[in-house]
Amino acid sequence: MALIEMKNITKDYHLGETIVHALRGIDLLIDKREFVAIWGPSGSGKTTLLNLISAIDEPTTGELAIAGKDVRSLTDNQKSEHRNETIGFIFQGFNLVPVLSALENVMLPLQIKGASAGEARKQALSRLEEVGLSELIYNRPAKMSGGQQQRVSIARALVNNPSLVIADEPTANLDSETARMIIDLMRELNEKDHTTFIFSTHDQRLLDRVKRLVRMEDGKIVDGGTKQ
Amino acid sequence: MMKWIKLAVRNIFRNKRRSFVTLLAIGVGFAAINLFYGWIHHSYYGLRVMAVQAEGLGHLRINRAGWQEKGKLEPEKYMFSKEETEKIIKLTTDEKEVILATPQIQVTGIVTNGVASTIFIAQGVVPKDDKTIKGGWANFRPVNGKELDDQKKYGAEIAQDLARYLNLTPGRDGVVMASTLSGQMNALDIQVMGVYDTGSDFSNDKFMRFTFDFAQSLLDTHSAERIVVLLKDWQDTERMRTTLLKKLQAAGIDCEIRTWKELSLSYLKTKSMLDMMFSFLFTIVIVIVVMTTVNTMGMAILERTREIGTLRALGLKRRGVSLLFSIEGALLGLFGSFMGVVLHLCVWAIIKIYPPQYTPPGISTSMSLTVDLVPQALFILVLCMVGLSLLAAIIPARRAAKQNIVDALGHV
Repeated sequence: MALIEMKNITKDYHLGETIVHALRGIDLLIDKREFVAIWGPSGSGKTTLLNLISAIDEPTTGELAIAGKDVRSLTDNQKSEHRNETIGFIFQGFNLVPVLSALENVMLPLQIKGASAGEARKQALSRLEEVGLSELIYNRPAKMSGGQQQRVSIARALVNNPSLVIADEPTANLDSETARMIIDLMRELNEKDHTTFIFSTHDQRLLDRVKRLVRMEDGKIVDGGTKQ
Repeated sequence: MMKWIKLAVRNIFRNKRRSFVTLLAIGVGFAAINLFYGWIHHSYYGLRVMAVQAEGLGHLRINRAGWQEKGKLEPEKYMFSKEETEKIIKLTTDEKEVILATPQIQVTGIVTNGVASTIFIAQGVVPKDDKTIKGGWANFRPVNGKELDDQKKYGAEIAQDLARYLNLTPGRDGVVMASTLSGQMNALDIQVMGVYDTGSDFSNDKFMRFTFDFAQSLLDTHSAERIVVLLKDWQDTERMRTTLLKKLQAAGIDCEIRTWKELSLSYLKTKSMLDMMFSFLFTIVIVIVVMTTVNTMGMAILERTREIGTLRALGLKRRGVSLLFSIEGALLGLFGSFMGVVLHLCVWAIIKIYPPQYTPPGISTSMSLTVDLVPQALFILVLCMVGLSLLAAIIPARRAAKQNIVDALGHV
């Protein structure tokens, strides 16, 4: 069974009286353990597609199942639980909570889940060690570089042991060297933990580091929709 | 829960200047309400002392039933006979809550110094009992001259303005005239024993005090108009009214009992006015606190829209977001109240050390501004402020929770 199954997905936005067709009939299957890059020009629908997969948005039409769950049938609370347990997020702008330290930021998904502070701390420390930030656990985001913040973000995405990590342009705010390091780190974790990674990018320099490419244009998948 | 409280505390101090202004608004409002409450709390005490001691009303007044409506028209019919008076005093003073029960009679008439005359309202009292009722007030406003004395039957005390109008200084003689209960004009000589301050401009130009026996002689009666009861604790007033009324009616005495609050010239009206002023101030402060908190929370939510989106994406439910901001609102109220307690104590101490003087309307002399420190009021207001701040935060918090995650994440 595929981890993600999308059949004939469309997504329309209403801007006043204008209807914007962001996605036009997407069919996509992604299996467990895959390391997938969704790439294409700006406005091609990459972020919209990731929003649907991560259950923070709903398709206008079509069928969408993630880990066997029909996302459209879930209530808002069930979607929240689904995101917390199944999906890890890595954002382009890192989106760390500024008043929390690196450690507390990584503990957050576990604490949302209801884990004890001790358990959350233990797992967060382990993940921060994996991303090489053991020395900076008490630093707040403002005192870390972009690359360090993104590594905290990766640790946070993985702390709940999700089956899927979604990263929207995770390297867009980083220099080339740091961007390559972040992608390599993600790939390493993908191979080690067998977590599925899906990330969007329009940086062609990073594409040789991924296992599968899904290319989008004008709200459609033009290449890589089915596994080679 | 602790983790969310910790996060809320840090968020409050994220924008220090804005939070400080909000806390200051809550704190100043808190202190203003409490200082005003402390002042009216003391004023209520003063008004009670004025009524019970200065006006000599005691805590309860027992009259024959119907006195209030018809006593002036047929006074003798609505007075207590000597036997009834003794019986009432006996039954009343048997109660452990009662300090004393004393007969009194009111006389109205004309007083003259032989040249000029004016109206008076006099209370016929038992001097020793009246002294007990006056209590500490007698030291606060001592009689100038000598006090009433059972041995000096024709002695009288006269209020200071009335004494001044008629030049009736201690030791001088005058004449009082009044109608007896049967309607005959009666006149008796008096000798001024002392001059006193009633404490009120409204009564200082017409009040007098005679001995109970003298007042009976002037009215040509052996009856008593009322029995005044002094209790050990004023808070027993209502309960003792019910108890005594049942007891006296069971003993065959048809009577009515009224409390000092009902009888006082000014207590209820002044209290009502002060209560209204307090409500007005309280409402203004509450509106300021609510508006400030709503504004602060609204700004915080606007600034943290992307953070809300992130928390929701990470799996925090709507009620979690709502809870987080509600906690922040409640904590603003709590911290603001603590600031208010400190401000209140500072101002209270300054007033205690350097009390301003003022003369309230209707009061004959100036007095110090006194603010009571009422810990219960402080505690209740802390709860009130926390509750209000929480309520004020709920609407913006719910708005935050309802935000679309995609829009929130895209917020710049």
